[in-house]
Amino acid sequence: MDRHQCQEMAGVGFQRWVRTLSKGKISGISGLLPACRSASGVSKDMLPGKYNIRVEDYKPIADNGEGYGDYPQLPDRSQQDRDPAYQWDHPDLRRNWNEPMHWDFDMFIRNRVDTSPTVVPWSTMCKQLFGFVGFMLFMFYLGDKFPAYQPVGPKQFPYNNLHLERGGSPDVEPEEVKNYEI
Amino acid sequence: MADYREAPLATRPKTLDPNEYFNLSPDYRRAEAERAALRAGLKRQYQLQLNNPHRKELIEDPALNRWVYARANPYNHFKATKKTSLLGALFGVAPLFILYYVFKTDRVCYGGR
Repeated sequence: MDRHQCQEMAGVGFQRWVRTLSKGKISGISGLLPACRSASGVSKDMLPGKYNIRVEDYKPIADNGEGYGDYPQLPDRSQQDRDPAYQWDHPDLRRNWNEPMHWDFDMFIRNRVDTSPTVVPWSTMCKQLFGFVGFMLFMFYLGDKFPAYQPVGPKQFPYNNLHLERGGSPDVEPEEVKNYEI
Repeated sequence: MADYREAPLATRPKTLDPNEYFNLSPDYRRAEAERAALRAGLKRQYQLQLNNPHRKELIEDPALNRWVYARANPYNHFKATKKTSLLGALFGVAPLFILYYVFKTDRVCYGGR
């Protein structure tokens, strides 16, 4: 009873899987999982069905040996960039169920990298940041070159200019130092 | 706003995207309609599973499984090219020698002196 209901529930997804398997010579779960491009024996037009994207939209990530396999290249847009008003299946991730995930999905979540349009143009941001930092650096440089402080004299110490503390022997009479004038 | 230029690596606001106003060919519209149909099919599957009163288990997300599998098994499709060899040497081999040299030569004398 339970298994029959499970099968009914899988519905469209299950039928598509069966169709994919019957077309090619792949067995079991490997028909659903990302696979090697050339060695899988799966024909090119089955891959978009596996990933739930259009045939025209499917474009594998460049095969340069870095281990991507036949995973599709999706647009490099962060989740923050997606419509906040649309009713997503998972609102915090701004993603629908069974939607193909970007390879760097965990980088593009809303807590991390954000590719949404900036409020201020790039040139303005650069000018403001480097302008402020440059100005502060310049002013600190000037302040170092031309110090300005209250007039001070050399520091005066008690006990004959700290004769004992400076290592002078207690037997020797220190010279009398008078740091005041009455 | 005619001279708007998006920041590097950022996207353009949808309202400033020229495709919204100029790209009205039937092919583009058909493509958009196909994408919407795919999306609707997936939504339907999800809603059927979500609202099924006899469902007792978690709804499994095949796209998530595929993503996890792809990220966990890159070595199956690894090829030793110039770029991958360079990266491997830079991050895997060079630090060993550099750190060995640094630790060997940079010594602090404890005690005495």
